[in-house]
Amino acid sequence: MLDLLDSPGMVHTIYVLGSMALFSIGLYGLLARRHLIKIFIAIAIMELSVYLLFIALATSPGETAPILADGLTRFAGMADPVPQALTLTAIVIGMAVLAFGVTLAIHYHRLTGIRDIDAMTELKD
Amino acid sequence: MALPLTPIWFIALPLLLAFLAPLWARLRLLLPLLFGAQVVLLALAAALVPAVRQAPLLETIVIAPPLGIHLHLDAVALLLVTLFHGAAALLALFVWLDEGVAHLRGPRPFVLLLLLVAGCDGMVLTGDLFNLYVFLEIAGVTAYALSALHRDRAGLEAGLKYVVIGSVAAVFFLFAVVLIYLQTGQLNIAAVAADFAAIPAPMQVLIGLSLLVGLGIKAELFPFNFWVPDIYQGSDPAVASLFSGVLVKAFLFVLFHLAFLLLADPRVAQVWLMGLGAATLLVAETVALRQPDLRRMLAYSSLGQIGLIALALGFTSEATTAGALFHMVNHTLAKLLLFLVAGLLIRRAASARLEALTGLGRQMPLAAGLFVLASLSVLGLPPLAGFASKLWILTGFAEAQVFWPIALILFGALLEAGYYFRWVKALYATGDAPVARGPAPAPARSAYLPLLLIAALLLLLGAAPFLLEADLVGAAQALLDRAATIEGVLGAQP
Repeated sequence: MLDLLDSPGMVHTIYVLGSMALFSIGLYGLLARRHLIKIFIAIAIMELSVYLLFIALATSPGETAPILADGLTRFAGMADPVPQALTLTAIVIGMAVLAFGVTLAIHYHRLTGIRDIDAMTELKD
Repeated sequence: MALPLTPIWFIALPLLLAFLAPLWARLRLLLPLLFGAQVVLLALAAALVPAVRQAPLLETIVIAPPLGIHLHLDAVALLLVTLFHGAAALLALFVWLDEGVAHLRGPRPFVLLLLLVAGCDGMVLTGDLFNLYVFLEIAGVTAYALSALHRDRAGLEAGLKYVVIGSVAAVFFLFAVVLIYLQTGQLNIAAVAADFAAIPAPMQVLIGLSLLVGLGIKAELFPFNFWVPDIYQGSDPAVASLFSGVLVKAFLFVLFHLAFLLLADPRVAQVWLMGLGAATLLVAETVALRQPDLRRMLAYSSLGQIGLIALALGFTSEATTAGALFHMVNHTLAKLLLFLVAGLLIRRAASARLEALTGLGRQMPLAAGLFVLASLSVLGLPPLAGFASKLWILTGFAEAQVFWPIALILFGALLEAGYYFRWVKALYATGDAPVARGPAPAPARSAYLPLLLIAALLLLLGAAPFLLEADLVGAAQALLDRAATIEGVLGAQP
């Protein structure tokens, strides 16, 4: 019965559900939390769910890294390398944006003492 | 010239210079170099015009498409790239000559401007979806940094709000890219377009909606544009002019380019895009009527014009598309002028409120005159450029026998007249003597040079729109001709 869990369809379903749950958690945090740092964490969780979805659905159980070494001489049974490369790039970009956002938040907090996004009222109608 | 003139320079040169600039110690030589780069890029765009009029330029990088990455320089991409570099060069000249506020001095704004232009060029030129995401983030991060260039309360608040909303937009865009790759196994836009119809319909809707949310936020379409006025108000007016003039145009192009390419039947997108454009136009123009802050008024006016452009582009007829592209050019010039003049006025009055600016036209006659000129162009009064492009769009709708957009555009113009005259009237108001202004000195005479250049361009394009007509029609055909684009890319493989 537990073999069922190893079938690609089942594994992919589990990952899709997991990444949807992560995305929802991120979206909830973004909309419901008011602390600036928590909002950035929520965005990071949303990004993470997209990375997870991409990597999980692009590979099936049993596939190895597409590197010819350790006795491997043919490109057979290997994972598609494109999603992995793209996800690495996206992680780097996401981290840079996150660092930039947190830097701005720290500057803003030092200047005004505010860390609540609802208290940012300098720019309003 | 030893180096071949290829589209890659539009991305490589600004990136290279921007990253080398911090290593350069001699400030005296650096600023002319950074400004000169904008002029060189504009000259490069002009030099490529004859070649692109013959046939679109395809530059493959290492491997041919659909496996490799390529840059696609067709008539519409060249038009936008030229527009970006023209606007960036004029803005750089203004910032250089003006030497006004402290946070715009030194190399920082120039470096960020180069990065922004590289990002926008990349978005317009690239033929690869993931590249598009990377360029979108380059332009995005640069825009956040530009927004927070002035480290005061308003600037940081604008930067923070921009980072949050921009990151969310990027997540949605990345989600759409991931879904497209999982469905088709392709990232090349032309190859994806060829396979897109084979994707199951519910997945097509999900991809379409993610793209619409992600790019709709970035391209400032209603209802995703609630954040825009805050950003424009908190950023320096020179930076806001760049957002309104360059950045939004790039995102708008990406949205429509993808919509036209991916969907075999453009009528599916027509309803959505025209509807969003109409809603953007109507809401923004109405809200602009009662803005007490000059920067917010200009932001809402910019949104209204974006809505107008989206409405005309979404109709997908050749005449309205060409007119919309022309309106993009005119709106960029007019908003550049309006925001830069607004910056001068605000600095003099030390406030952007209507009351504070009252009577300022008598102290700064040239600035106020330019403000009136640019306002008239936005309204679409002859003989200014805005008239020529609005007329082109209206004729296009009339030829197609569709009349509700015409009524909407004319109603929008009426509202625009209402709020622009309110501000012009205030500038020239008499009665209460001008209060003691801040310590800001009058701007240097030379700072008016780029502003007068923009005004001259607005007059020239209004008086002689036929100068650009052939290129605009060519650009519209390139944007609309889905089959030729796909064939051009996929046929190029060995």
